[in-house]
Amino acid sequence: MIDISNLTVKFGGVVALDDLSLKITDDVVGLIGPNGAGKTTLTNAFSGFVNVSSGSVSVNGLNLIDMPPHKRTRWGVARSFQKVQTVFDLTVEEHLNTVLDAKGASGQLREKAIVRALNFVGLAAQRKTLGVDLNPYHRRMTEIAKCLVGAPRIILLDEPGGGLSESEMLELRRIILGIHPEFGAQILLVDHDVDLIRDVCTSTVVLDFGKLIAFGPTEEVLQDEVVKAAYLGR
Amino acid sequence: MPLRFDIKNTFTLVLVLAVIVLFPLLLSSLWVKVVTSALIFSLAALGVSVVFAQLGLINLSQIALVGVGGWVLLRLNYATELPFTVMLVLGGIVTASIGALLALPALRMRGLYLALVTLMAAGAFQILFNAFQFPNGGEGFWGVAQQSAGVVRRPAFAQSDANYLRYVISAVAICITVVGLHRYAAPGRAWAMTRQSEANAMAAGVNVTFYKLWAFALSGCVAGIAGGLLAGALQQLDARSFLAGDSILLFALAIVGGVYHWLGAIIAGLLFKLLPALLNDFGLSADIAMVIFGAALLHAIMTAPQGIAGQLIGAISSIGKKGSATDD
Ligand SMILES: Nc1ncnc2c1ncn2[C@@H]1O[C@H](COP(=O)(O)OP(=O)(O)OP(=O)(O)O)[C@@H](O)[C@H]1O
Ligand SMILES: [Mg+2]
Repeated sequence: MIDISNLTVKFGGVVALDDLSLKITDDVVGLIGPNGAGKTTLTNAFSGFVNVSSGSVSVNGLNLIDMPPHKRTRWGVARSFQKVQTVFDLTVEEHLNTVLDAKGASGQLREKAIVRALNFVGLAAQRKTLGVDLNPYHRRMTEIAKCLVGAPRIILLDEPGGGLSESEMLELRRIILGIHPEFGAQILLVDHDVDLIRDVCTSTVVLDFGKLIAFGPTEEVLQDEVVKAAYLGR
Repeated sequence: MPLRFDIKNTFTLVLVLAVIVLFPLLLSSLWVKVVTSALIFSLAALGVSVVFAQLGLINLSQIALVGVGGWVLLRLNYATELPFTVMLVLGGIVTASIGALLALPALRMRGLYLALVTLMAAGAFQILFNAFQFPNGGEGFWGVAQQSAGVVRRPAFAQSDANYLRYVISAVAICITVVGLHRYAAPGRAWAMTRQSEANAMAAGVNVTFYKLWAFALSGCVAGIAGGLLAGALQQLDARSFLAGDSILLFALAIVGGVYHWLGAIIAGLLFKLLPALLNDFGLSADIAMVIFGAALLHAIMTAPQGIAGQLIGAISSIGKKGSATDD
Protein backbone atom coordinates (compact mmCIF):
# COMPACT_ATOMS: atom_id res chain seq x y z
CA MET A 1 0.00 0.00 0.00
CA ILE A 2 1.18 3.47 -0.88
CA ASP A 3 0.65 5.98 1.88
CA ILE A 4 1.20 9.62 1.03
CA SER A 5 0.60 11.88 3.97
CA ASN A 6 0.58 15.67 4.25
CA LEU A 7 2.94 15.99 1.31
CA THR A 8 3.85 19.58 0.44
CA VAL A 9 6.25 20.67 -2.28
CA LYS A 10 7.03 24.33 -2.95
CA PHE A 11 8.97 26.01 -5.74
CA GLY A 12 9.61 29.49 -4.43
CA GLY A 13 6.13 30.96 -4.10
CA VAL A 14 4.44 28.20 -6.12
CA VAL A 15 2.88 25.47 -4.03
CA ALA A 16 3.06 22.55 -6.44
CA LEU A 17 1.69 20.03 -3.94
CA ASP A 18 -0.41 21.29 -1.09
CA ASP A 19 -0.69 19.07 1.97
CA LEU A 20 -1.61 16.03 -0.07
CA SER A 21 -2.76 12.87 1.71
CA LEU A 22 -3.66 9.64 -0.08
CA LYS A 23 -3.78 5.93 0.59
CA ILE A 24 -3.51 3.86 -2.56
CA THR A 25 -4.20 0.14 -2.59
CA ASP A 26 -5.32 -0.55 -6.17
CA ASP A 27 -2.92 -2.16 -8.58
CA VAL A 28 -3.23 0.35 -11.38
CA VAL A 29 -4.06 3.90 -10.38
CA GLY A 30 -4.57 6.92 -12.60
CA LEU A 31 -3.29 10.40 -11.81
CA ILE A 32 -4.93 13.18 -13.79
CA GLY A 33 -5.38 16.93 -13.59
CA PRO A 34 -4.98 20.02 -15.76
CA ASN A 35 -1.56 21.32 -16.83
CA GLY A 36 0.46 22.44 -13.86
CA ALA A 37 -1.73 20.52 -11.41
CA GLY A 38 1.29 18.87 -9.79
CA LYS A 39 1.20 15.41 -11.39
CA THR A 40 4.86 15.40 -12.40
CA THR A 41 5.78 16.96 -9.07
CA LEU A 42 4.08 14.07 -7.26
CA THR A 43 6.01 11.56 -9.38
CA ASN A 44 9.21 13.48 -8.66
CA ALA A 45 8.52 13.58 -4.92
CA PHE A 46 7.81 9.85 -4.98
CA SER A 47 11.02 9.01 -6.81
CA GLY A 48 13.16 11.53 -4.92
CA PHE A 49 13.76 14.23 -7.51
CA VAL A 50 12.37 17.22 -5.62
CA ASN A 51 12.86 18.40 -2.08
CA VAL A 52 9.66 18.11 -0.18
CA SER A 53 8.81 20.82 2.35
CA SER A 54 6.93 18.41 4.58
CA GLY A 55 5.09 15.13 4.64
CA SER A 56 6.03 11.60 3.74
CA VAL A 57 5.63 8.89 1.14
CA SER A 58 5.67 5.34 2.44
CA VAL A 59 5.16 2.00 0.81
CA ASN A 60 4.02 -0.87 3.01
CA GLY A 61 5.14 1.09 6.05
CA LEU A 62 8.61 1.99 4.73
CA ASN A 63 9.13 5.75 4.52
CA LEU A 64 10.98 6.56 1.30
CA ILE A 65 11.27 10.30 1.75
CA ASP A 66 14.84 10.40 3.11
CA MET A 67 16.25 7.96 0.56
CA PRO A 68 18.26 9.38 -2.34
CA PRO A 69 16.74 8.69 -5.78
CA HIS A 70 19.12 5.92 -6.84
CA LYS A 71 18.45 4.03 -3.63
CA ARG A 72 14.70 4.31 -4.19
CA THR A 73 15.21 2.81 -7.62
CA ARG A 74 17.25 -0.02 -6.19
CA TRP A 75 14.59 -0.59 -3.58
CA GLY A 76 11.96 -0.88 -6.30
CA VAL A 77 10.60 2.50 -7.37
CA ALA A 78 10.82 2.68 -11.17
CA ARG A 79 9.79 5.70 -13.17
CA SER A 80 9.59 7.02 -16.68
CA PHE A 81 9.93 10.67 -17.58
CA GLN A 82 7.40 12.90 -19.31
CA LYS A 83 10.13 13.85 -21.77
CA VAL A 84 11.51 10.59 -23.06
CA GLN A 85 15.13 9.91 -22.01
CA THR A 86 17.14 7.90 -24.48
CA VAL A 87 20.92 7.77 -24.46
CA PHE A 88 22.11 7.99 -28.05
CA ASP A 89 25.24 5.90 -27.74
CA LEU A 90 23.78 3.09 -25.66
CA THR A 91 21.89 0.19 -27.18
CA VAL A 92 18.47 -0.81 -25.90
CA GLU A 93 20.08 -3.71 -24.12
CA GLU A 94 22.65 -1.42 -22.50
CA HIS A 95 19.86 0.81 -21.22
CA LEU A 96 18.39 -2.16 -19.38
CA ASN A 97 21.80 -3.35 -18.28
CA THR A 98 22.43 -0.01 -16.58
CA VAL A 99 19.43 -0.63 -14.36
CA LEU A 100 20.48 -4.23 -13.72
CA ASP A 101 24.04 -3.11 -12.89
CA ALA A 102 22.63 -0.87 -10.19
CA LYS A 103 20.40 -3.60 -8.84
CA GLY A 104 23.29 -6.05 -8.78
CA ALA A 105 21.72 -8.68 -11.02
CA SER A 106 24.03 -11.52 -12.02
CA GLY A 107 24.63 -13.14 -15.42
CA GLN A 108 21.79 -15.58 -16.02
CA LEU A 109 19.13 -13.66 -14.17
CA ARG A 110 20.19 -10.61 -16.10
CA GLU A 111 19.77 -12.28 -19.46
CA LYS A 112 16.35 -13.61 -18.42
CA ALA A 113 15.21 -10.21 -17.18
CA ILE A 114 16.29 -8.49 -20.39
CA VAL A 115 14.64 -11.03 -22.68
CA ARG A 116 11.46 -10.95 -20.66
CA ALA A 117 11.19 -7.16 -20.58
CA LEU A 118 12.05 -6.75 -24.26
CA ASN A 119 9.61 -9.41 -25.37
CA PHE A 120 6.95 -7.87 -23.20
CA VAL A 121 7.22 -4.43 -24.80
CA GLY A 122 7.91 -5.83 -28.27
CA LEU A 123 11.50 -4.65 -28.58
CA ALA A 124 13.24 -8.00 -29.01
CA ALA A 125 14.31 -7.06 -32.53
CA GLN A 126 15.76 -3.73 -31.36
CA ARG A 127 17.88 -5.23 -28.60
CA LYS A 128 21.19 -4.20 -30.20
CA THR A 129 19.95 -0.94 -31.72
CA LEU A 130 21.58 2.28 -30.51
CA GLY A 131 19.34 4.86 -28.88
CA VAL A 132 20.03 7.34 -31.66
CA ASP A 133 18.55 4.96 -34.24
CA LEU A 134 15.29 4.29 -32.38
CA ASN A 135 12.00 5.86 -33.46
CA PRO A 136 9.98 7.77 -30.84
CA TYR A 137 7.74 4.79 -30.11
CA HIS A 138 10.67 2.47 -29.58
CA ARG A 139 12.32 5.06 -27.35
CA ARG A 140 9.17 5.14 -25.24
CA MET A 141 9.13 1.36 -25.05
CA THR A 142 12.80 1.29 -24.05
CA GLU A 143 11.90 3.55 -21.19
CA ILE A 144 9.07 1.27 -20.11
CA ALA A 145 11.30 -1.79 -20.43
CA LYS A 146 13.82 -0.04 -18.16
CA CYS A 147 11.07 0.24 -15.56
CA LEU A 148 10.29 -3.46 -15.85
CA VAL A 149 13.71 -5.04 -15.29
CA GLY A 150 15.05 -5.77 -11.85
CA ALA A 151 11.80 -6.58 -10.02
CA PRO A 152 10.17 -3.18 -9.55
CA ARG A 153 7.62 -2.75 -6.76
CA ILE A 154 6.10 0.53 -7.91
CA ILE A 155 6.13 1.90 -11.43
CA LEU A 156 5.43 5.58 -12.02
CA LEU A 157 4.62 6.37 -15.64
CA ASP A 158 4.54 10.09 -16.46
CA GLU A 159 2.51 10.55 -19.65
CA PRO A 160 3.83 7.49 -21.48
CA GLY A 161 1.30 8.20 -24.23
CA GLY A 162 2.72 11.61 -25.08
CA GLY A 163 3.29 11.96 -28.82
CA LEU A 164 2.12 8.46 -29.75
CA SER A 165 -0.15 7.71 -32.68
CA GLU A 166 -3.57 6.10 -32.21
CA SER A 167 -2.40 2.60 -33.07
CA GLU A 168 0.64 3.00 -30.83
CA MET A 169 -1.69 4.10 -28.05
CA LEU A 170 -3.61 0.83 -28.41
CA GLU A 171 -0.39 -1.09 -28.09
CA LEU A 172 0.62 0.99 -25.04
CA ARG A 173 -2.74 0.30 -23.44
CA ARG A 174 -2.28 -3.43 -23.92
CA ILE A 175 1.19 -3.24 -22.44
CA ILE A 176 0.22 -1.23 -19.37
CA LEU A 177 -2.71 -3.56 -18.73
CA GLY A 178 -0.29 -6.49 -18.80
CA ILE A 179 2.32 -5.07 -16.43
CA HIS A 180 0.68 -5.85 -13.13
CA PRO A 181 -0.34 -9.44 -13.95
CA GLU A 182 3.08 -10.16 -15.47
CA PHE A 183 5.47 -8.24 -13.21
CA GLY A 184 3.39 -7.73 -10.09
CA ALA A 185 4.28 -4.06 -9.65
CA GLN A 186 1.81 -1.44 -8.55
CA ILE A 187 1.39 1.26 -11.20
CA LEU A 188 0.73 4.96 -10.96
CA LEU A 189 -0.17 6.27 -14.41
CA VAL A 190 -0.17 9.97 -15.28
CA ASP A 191 -1.86 10.82 -18.56
CA HIS A 192 -4.09 13.34 -20.24
CA ASP A 193 -5.84 10.68 -22.28
CA VAL A 194 -9.01 10.00 -20.31
CA ASP A 195 -9.85 6.94 -22.41
CA LEU A 196 -6.53 5.37 -21.52
CA ILE A 197 -7.08 6.09 -17.83
CA ARG A 198 -10.64 4.73 -18.00
CA ASP A 199 -9.45 1.51 -19.64
CA VAL A 200 -6.52 0.64 -17.44
CA CYS A 201 -6.99 2.27 -14.02
CA THR A 202 -9.37 0.88 -11.46
CA SER A 203 -9.11 4.00 -9.37
CA THR A 204 -8.01 7.53 -10.16
CA VAL A 205 -6.56 10.52 -8.32
CA VAL A 206 -7.41 14.01 -9.55
CA LEU A 207 -5.19 16.97 -8.68
CA ASP A 208 -5.76 20.65 -9.31
CA PHE A 209 -3.39 23.39 -8.17
CA GLY A 210 -1.55 20.84 -6.05
CA LYS A 211 -4.66 19.84 -4.14
CA LEU A 212 -6.53 16.57 -4.18
CA ILE A 213 -9.95 17.23 -5.66
CA ALA A 214 -11.15 13.67 -6.17
CA PHE A 215 -10.06 10.09 -5.55
CA GLY A 216 -11.98 6.87 -6.02
CA PRO A 217 -13.11 4.34 -8.62
CA THR A 218 -12.25 5.74 -12.04
CA GLU A 219 -15.82 5.80 -13.42
CA GLU A 220 -17.16 7.67 -10.40
CA VAL A 221 -14.29 10.14 -10.44
CA LEU A 222 -14.76 10.89 -14.12
CA GLN A 223 -18.47 11.58 -13.50
CA ASP A 224 -17.71 13.91 -10.59
CA GLU A 225 -18.98 17.46 -11.23
CA VAL A 226 -15.97 19.08 -9.58
CA VAL A 227 -13.61 17.06 -11.73
CA LYS A 228 -15.56 17.87 -14.86
CA ALA A 229 -15.42 21.55 -14.05
CA ALA A 230 -11.73 21.55 -13.21
CA TYR A 231 -10.47 19.31 -15.90
CA LEU A 232 -12.75 17.66 -18.39
CA GLY A 233 -14.67 20.83 -19.15
CA ARG A 234 -11.58 22.61 -20.40
CA MET B 1 30.98 7.56 -31.59
CA PRO B 2 31.80 5.99 -28.26
CA LEU B 3 35.29 5.45 -26.94
CA ARG B 4 36.18 2.14 -28.47
CA PHE B 5 39.04 -0.20 -28.14
CA ASP B 6 37.92 -3.33 -29.86
CA ILE B 7 39.70 -6.23 -28.23
CA LYS B 8 38.01 -8.57 -30.67
CA ASN B 9 40.11 -6.73 -33.17
CA THR B 10 43.17 -8.97 -33.24
CA PHE B 11 44.56 -6.74 -35.93
CA THR B 12 45.04 -4.05 -33.29
CA LEU B 13 46.84 -6.49 -31.03
CA VAL B 14 49.18 -7.62 -33.78
CA LEU B 15 49.83 -4.01 -34.66
CA VAL B 16 50.69 -3.16 -31.06
CA LEU B 17 53.08 -6.10 -30.84
CA ALA B 18 54.72 -5.18 -34.12
CA VAL B 19 55.15 -1.62 -32.90
CA ILE B 20 56.66 -2.84 -29.63
CA VAL B 21 59.24 -4.96 -31.43
CA LEU B 22 60.05 -2.92 -34.51
CA PHE B 23 59.47 0.70 -33.68
CA PRO B 24 62.42 1.22 -31.31
CA LEU B 25 64.75 -0.33 -33.92
CA LEU B 26 63.89 2.37 -36.40
CA LEU B 27 64.69 5.29 -34.13
CA SER B 28 67.97 6.89 -33.23
CA SER B 29 68.71 7.11 -29.53
CA LEU B 30 67.57 10.73 -29.33
CA TRP B 31 64.22 9.93 -30.92
CA VAL B 32 63.73 6.90 -28.72
CA LYS B 33 63.75 9.32 -25.78
CA VAL B 34 61.39 11.77 -27.45
CA VAL B 35 58.89 9.11 -28.50
CA THR B 36 59.01 7.60 -25.02
CA SER B 37 57.99 10.83 -23.38
CA ALA B 38 55.41 11.53 -26.10
CA LEU B 39 53.72 8.20 -25.38
CA ILE B 40 53.88 8.86 -21.67
CA PHE B 41 51.93 12.07 -22.20
CA SER B 42 49.54 10.16 -24.45
CA LEU B 43 48.67 8.20 -21.37
CA ALA B 44 47.99 11.39 -19.46
CA ALA B 45 45.85 12.64 -22.36
CA LEU B 46 43.90 9.39 -22.29
CA GLY B 47 42.73 10.24 -18.78
CA VAL B 48 41.62 13.72 -19.80
CA SER B 49 39.76 12.27 -22.78
CA VAL B 50 37.86 9.71 -20.75
CA VAL B 51 36.51 12.25 -18.31
CA PHE B 52 35.56 14.66 -21.08
CA ALA B 53 34.16 12.14 -23.56
CA GLN B 54 32.25 10.07 -21.04
CA LEU B 55 30.99 12.72 -18.64
CA GLY B 56 31.49 16.01 -20.45
CA LEU B 57 33.64 17.25 -17.56
CA ILE B 58 36.79 19.31 -18.02
CA ASN B 59 39.85 18.43 -15.99
CA LEU B 60 42.73 20.91 -16.09
CA SER B 61 44.93 19.33 -13.46
CA GLN B 62 46.25 16.34 -15.37
CA ILE B 63 49.88 17.48 -15.67
CA ALA B 64 49.93 18.12 -11.93
CA LEU B 65 48.76 14.55 -11.39
CA VAL B 66 51.53 13.30 -13.67
CA GLY B 67 53.85 15.12 -11.28
CA VAL B 68 52.22 13.44 -8.29
CA GLY B 69 52.68 10.01 -9.86
CA GLY B 70 56.30 10.83 -10.61
CA TRP B 71 56.86 12.06 -7.06
CA VAL B 72 55.42 8.87 -5.57
CA LEU B 73 57.58 6.67 -7.79
CA LEU B 74 60.75 8.59 -6.95
CA ARG B 75 59.88 8.52 -3.27
CA LEU B 76 59.35 4.76 -3.35
CA ASN B 77 62.45 4.26 -5.47
CA TYR B 78 64.70 5.78 -2.82
CA ALA B 79 62.83 4.48 0.22
CA THR B 80 62.16 0.89 -0.81
CA GLU B 81 63.50 -1.98 -2.84
CA LEU B 82 60.20 -2.57 -4.63
CA PRO B 83 60.35 -3.56 -8.30
CA PHE B 84 59.61 -0.81 -10.82
CA THR B 85 56.26 -2.16 -11.95
CA VAL B 86 55.03 -2.40 -8.37
CA MET B 87 56.08 1.20 -7.71
CA LEU B 88 54.34 2.22 -10.90
CA VAL B 89 51.08 0.62 -9.84
CA LEU B 90 51.33 2.12 -6.34
CA GLY B 91 51.92 5.53 -7.91
CA GLY B 92 48.82 4.96 -10.00
CA ILE B 93 46.78 4.09 -6.93
CA VAL B 94 47.92 7.10 -4.90
CA THR B 95 47.29 9.43 -7.83
CA ALA B 96 43.90 7.85 -8.44
CA SER B 97 42.85 8.76 -4.90
CA ILE B 98 44.10 12.32 -5.33
CA GLY B 99 42.29 12.48 -8.67
CA ALA B 100 39.09 11.40 -6.98
CA LEU B 101 39.64 13.98 -4.26
CA LEU B 102 39.97 16.70 -6.89
CA ALA B 103 36.71 15.44 -8.34
CA LEU B 104 34.75 16.35 -5.24
CA PRO B 105 33.97 19.79 -6.70
CA ALA B 106 32.83 18.05 -9.87
CA LEU B 107 29.93 16.66 -7.94
CA ARG B 108 28.44 20.11 -7.64
CA MET B 109 29.97 21.98 -10.54
CA ARG B 110 30.20 21.63 -14.26
CA GLY B 111 31.68 23.47 -17.21
CA LEU B 112 33.79 26.52 -16.65
CA TYR B 113 33.57 26.48 -12.85
CA LEU B 114 34.84 22.96 -12.57
CA ALA B 115 37.59 23.70 -15.09
CA LEU B 116 38.69 26.66 -12.96
CA VAL B 117 38.71 24.62 -9.77
CA THR B 118 40.86 21.91 -11.33
CA LEU B 119 43.17 24.55 -12.78
CA MET B 120 43.60 26.10 -9.35
CA ALA B 121 44.44 22.69 -7.93
CA ALA B 122 47.05 22.35 -10.67
CA GLY B 123 48.44 25.75 -9.64
CA ALA B 124 48.63 24.62 -6.04
CA PHE B 125 50.59 21.53 -7.04
CA GLN B 126 52.92 23.66 -9.14
CA ILE B 127 53.72 25.66 -6.00
CA LEU B 128 54.16 22.50 -3.92
CA PHE B 129 56.50 20.96 -6.47
CA ASN B 130 58.57 24.12 -6.50
CA ALA B 131 58.69 24.29 -2.73
CA PHE B 132 59.55 20.66 -2.06
CA GLN B 133 61.11 19.52 -5.34
CA PHE B 134 61.23 15.87 -6.39
CA PRO B 135 63.11 13.23 -4.38
CA ASN B 136 66.59 12.64 -5.76
CA GLY B 137 68.00 10.33 -3.11
CA GLY B 138 68.39 12.80 -0.25
CA GLU B 139 67.48 12.30 3.41
CA GLY B 140 64.08 12.61 5.07
CA PHE B 141 60.56 12.44 3.81
CA TRP B 142 61.05 14.89 0.97
CA GLY B 143 64.27 13.17 -0.02
CA VAL B 144 65.88 16.14 -1.69
CA ALA B 145 69.60 16.83 -1.45
CA GLN B 146 72.01 19.18 -3.17
CA GLN B 147 73.54 16.44 -5.18
CA SER B 148 73.27 14.87 -8.57
CA ALA B 149 70.31 12.54 -8.68
CA GLY B 150 70.55 8.88 -7.82
CA VAL B 151 69.48 6.05 -10.08
CA VAL B 152 65.86 5.18 -10.73
CA ARG B 153 65.61 1.42 -11.15
CA ARG B 154 64.04 0.26 -14.34
CA PRO B 155 62.60 -3.20 -14.90
CA ALA B 156 65.37 -5.77 -15.46
CA PHE B 157 64.32 -6.36 -19.06
CA ALA B 158 64.00 -2.66 -19.83
CA GLN B 159 67.38 -1.25 -18.85
CA SER B 160 68.23 0.21 -22.24
CA ASP B 161 66.28 3.17 -23.59
CA ALA B 162 64.97 1.11 -26.52
CA ASN B 163 63.68 -1.63 -24.22
CA TYR B 164 62.27 0.97 -21.86
CA LEU B 165 60.32 2.38 -24.80
CA ARG B 166 58.95 -1.13 -25.38
CA TYR B 167 57.95 -1.26 -21.72
CA VAL B 168 56.20 2.11 -22.08
CA ILE B 169 54.36 1.00 -25.23
CA SER B 170 53.15 -2.09 -23.38
CA ALA B 171 52.05 -0.05 -20.38
CA VAL B 172 50.18 2.36 -22.64
CA ALA B 173 48.49 -0.52 -24.49
CA ILE B 174 47.40 -2.10 -21.21
CA CYS B 175 46.02 1.19 -19.91
CA ILE B 176 44.16 1.81 -23.17
CA THR B 177 42.64 -1.65 -22.91
CA VAL B 178 41.57 -1.21 -19.32
CA VAL B 179 40.10 2.22 -20.02
CA GLY B 180 38.43 0.94 -23.19
CA LEU B 181 36.87 -2.02 -21.40
CA HIS B 182 35.04 0.43 -19.15
CA ARG B 183 32.94 1.38 -22.14
CA TYR B 184 31.36 -2.07 -22.22
CA ALA B 185 30.94 -2.47 -18.51
CA ALA B 186 28.84 -0.93 -15.76
CA PRO B 187 30.92 2.28 -15.44
CA GLY B 188 30.70 3.05 -19.16
CA ARG B 189 26.94 2.60 -19.18
CA ALA B 190 26.54 4.64 -16.01
CA TRP B 191 28.71 7.43 -17.46
CA ALA B 192 26.78 7.49 -20.72
CA MET B 193 23.49 7.77 -18.92
CA THR B 194 24.82 10.41 -16.53
CA ARG B 195 26.13 12.52 -19.39
CA GLN B 196 22.74 12.49 -21.07
CA SER B 197 20.83 13.30 -17.88
CA GLU B 198 21.76 12.91 -14.25
CA ALA B 199 18.11 12.53 -13.30
CA ASN B 200 17.69 9.74 -15.80
CA ALA B 201 20.80 8.00 -14.47
CA MET B 202 19.56 8.23 -10.89
CA ALA B 203 16.20 6.90 -11.98
CA ALA B 204 18.06 3.91 -13.40
CA GLY B 205 19.59 3.39 -9.96
CA VAL B 206 23.01 4.76 -10.88
CA ASN B 207 25.00 6.21 -8.01
CA VAL B 208 26.05 9.29 -9.97
CA THR B 209 28.46 10.54 -7.30
CA PHE B 210 30.31 7.25 -7.16
CA TYR B 211 30.73 6.93 -10.91
CA LYS B 212 31.91 10.52 -11.31
CA LEU B 213 34.55 9.85 -8.68
CA TRP B 214 35.43 6.64 -10.45
CA ALA B 215 36.00 8.48 -13.75
CA PHE B 216 38.32 10.97 -12.10
CA ALA B 217 40.10 8.19 -10.22
CA LEU B 218 40.67 6.30 -13.45
CA SER B 219 41.92 9.45 -15.10
CA GLY B 220 44.19 10.14 -12.13
CA CYS B 221 45.43 6.57 -12.16
CA VAL B 222 46.67 6.76 -15.75
CA ALA B 223 48.19 10.18 -15.00
CA GLY B 224 50.02 8.66 -12.05
CA ILE B 225 51.31 5.78 -14.14
CA ALA B 226 52.41 8.28 -16.77
CA GLY B 227 54.31 10.19 -14.06
CA GLY B 228 56.01 7.04 -12.85
CA LEU B 229 57.00 6.09 -16.38
CA LEU B 230 58.36 9.59 -16.90
CA ALA B 231 60.48 9.31 -13.76
CA GLY B 232 61.87 6.02 -15.03
CA ALA B 233 62.55 7.53 -18.43
CA LEU B 234 64.26 10.72 -17.29
CA GLN B 235 65.76 9.34 -14.04
CA GLN B 236 64.91 12.59 -12.28
CA LEU B 237 62.09 15.09 -12.40
CA ASP B 238 62.26 18.85 -12.44
CA ALA B 239 59.60 20.91 -10.66
CA ARG B 240 59.55 23.34 -13.58
CA SER B 241 58.16 20.75 -15.96
CA PHE B 242 54.78 20.42 -14.23
CA LEU B 243 53.24 23.77 -14.96
CA ALA B 244 49.52 24.34 -14.51
CA GLY B 245 49.38 25.92 -17.94
CA ASP B 246 50.58 22.71 -19.54
CA SER B 247 47.43 20.99 -18.30
CA ILE B 248 45.40 23.41 -20.40
CA LEU B 249 47.59 22.63 -23.38
CA LEU B 250 47.20 18.90 -22.83
CA PHE B 251 43.42 19.24 -22.63
CA ALA B 252 43.36 21.27 -25.84
CA LEU B 253 45.52 18.69 -27.60
CA ALA B 254 43.29 15.88 -26.36
CA ILE B 255 40.43 17.67 -28.16
CA VAL B 256 42.57 18.11 -31.26
CA GLY B 257 43.56 14.44 -31.23
CA GLY B 258 40.01 13.33 -30.56
CA VAL B 259 38.56 12.35 -27.20
CA TYR B 260 36.29 9.56 -28.41
CA HIS B 261 39.00 7.19 -29.52
CA TRP B 262 42.20 5.99 -27.89
CA LEU B 263 44.07 6.92 -31.05
CA GLY B 264 43.22 10.54 -30.26
CA ALA B 265 45.16 10.31 -27.00
CA ILE B 266 48.19 8.92 -28.85
CA ILE B 267 47.98 11.80 -31.30
CA ALA B 268 47.67 14.29 -28.43
CA GLY B 269 50.84 12.94 -26.79
CA LEU B 270 52.74 13.06 -30.07
CA LEU B 271 51.66 16.64 -30.66
CA PHE B 272 52.55 17.59 -27.11
CA LYS B 273 56.11 16.22 -27.10
CA LEU B 274 57.07 15.10 -30.57
CA LEU B 275 56.03 18.08 -32.65
CA PRO B 276 58.11 20.64 -30.74
CA ALA B 277 61.11 18.31 -30.98
CA LEU B 278 60.58 17.85 -34.71
CA LEU B 279 60.39 21.60 -35.23
CA ASN B 280 63.60 21.96 -33.26
CA ASP B 281 65.18 19.33 -35.44
CA PHE B 282 64.24 21.33 -38.53
CA GLY B 283 65.92 24.34 -36.98
CA LEU B 284 62.61 26.07 -36.25
CA SER B 285 61.53 27.54 -32.96
CA ALA B 286 59.49 25.13 -30.86
CA ASP B 287 57.16 28.05 -30.17
CA ILE B 288 55.77 27.57 -33.67
CA ALA B 289 54.14 24.46 -32.19
CA MET B 290 51.87 26.79 -30.22
CA VAL B 291 50.68 28.48 -33.39
CA ILE B 292 50.01 25.09 -34.99
CA PHE B 293 48.17 23.92 -31.87
CA GLY B 294 46.00 27.01 -31.90
CA ALA B 295 45.04 26.52 -35.53
CA ALA B 296 44.44 22.79 -34.97
CA LEU B 297 42.20 23.54 -31.99
CA LEU B 298 40.11 25.96 -34.01
CA HIS B 299 39.87 23.37 -36.74
CA ALA B 300 38.79 20.70 -34.27
CA ILE B 301 36.19 22.89 -32.61
CA MET B 302 34.70 24.15 -35.84
CA THR B 303 34.85 21.19 -38.18
CA ALA B 304 36.10 18.06 -36.48
CA PRO B 305 34.49 17.42 -33.09
CA GLN B 306 35.82 13.85 -33.23
CA GLY B 307 39.36 15.21 -33.62
CA ILE B 308 42.10 13.95 -35.88
CA ALA B 309 41.45 10.38 -34.72
CA GLY B 310 37.84 10.67 -35.85
CA GLN B 311 38.90 11.98 -39.25
CA LEU B 312 41.53 9.27 -39.69
CA ILE B 313 39.14 6.51 -38.73
CA GLY B 314 36.44 8.02 -40.94
CA ALA B 315 38.87 8.07 -43.86
CA ILE B 316 40.06 4.52 -43.24
CA SER B 317 36.54 3.13 -42.92
CA SER B 318 35.44 4.89 -46.11
CA ILE B 319 38.43 3.39 -47.95
CA GLY B 320 37.44 0.05 -46.43
CA LYS B 321 33.88 0.47 -47.69
CA LYS B 322 35.04 1.42 -51.18
CA GLY B 323 37.36 -1.58 -51.14
CA SER B 324 34.64 -4.00 -50.18
CA ALA B 325 32.27 -2.38 -52.67
CA THR B 326 34.66 -3.13 -55.52
CA ASP B 327 35.16 -6.65 -54.16
CA ASP B 328 31.47 -7.41 -54.61
N1 LIG C 1 11.51 22.69 -11.07
C1 LIG C 1 10.50 23.57 -10.94
N2 LIG C 1 10.77 24.84 -10.60
C2 LIG C 1 9.78 25.75 -10.45
N3 LIG C 1 8.47 25.46 -10.60
C3 LIG C 1 8.14 24.21 -10.94
C4 LIG C 1 9.13 23.20 -11.13
N4 LIG C 1 8.52 22.05 -11.47
C5 LIG C 1 7.20 22.33 -11.48
N5 LIG C 1 6.97 23.62 -11.16
C6 LIG C 1 5.64 24.25 -11.04
O1 LIG C 1 4.86 23.43 -10.20
C7 LIG C 1 3.54 23.33 -10.70
C8 LIG C 1 3.20 21.88 -10.96
O2 LIG C 1 3.94 21.42 -12.06
P1 LIG C 1 3.91 19.93 -12.59
O3 LIG C 1 4.99 19.81 -13.59
O4 LIG C 1 3.94 19.01 -11.45
O5 LIG C 1 2.50 19.86 -13.30
P2 LIG C 1 1.87 18.68 -14.16
O6 LIG C 1 0.60 18.35 -13.49
O7 LIG C 1 2.82 17.59 -14.36
O8 LIG C 1 1.56 19.43 -15.53
P3 LIG C 1 1.63 18.88 -17.04
O9 LIG C 1 0.31 18.23 -17.28
O10 LIG C 1 1.79 20.11 -17.84
O11 LIG C 1 2.77 17.95 -17.15
C9 LIG C 1 3.48 24.21 -11.94
O12 LIG C 1 2.99 25.46 -11.57
C10 LIG C 1 4.93 24.32 -12.36
O13 LIG C 1 5.16 25.53 -13.02
MG1 LIG D 1 3.80 16.79 -15.98
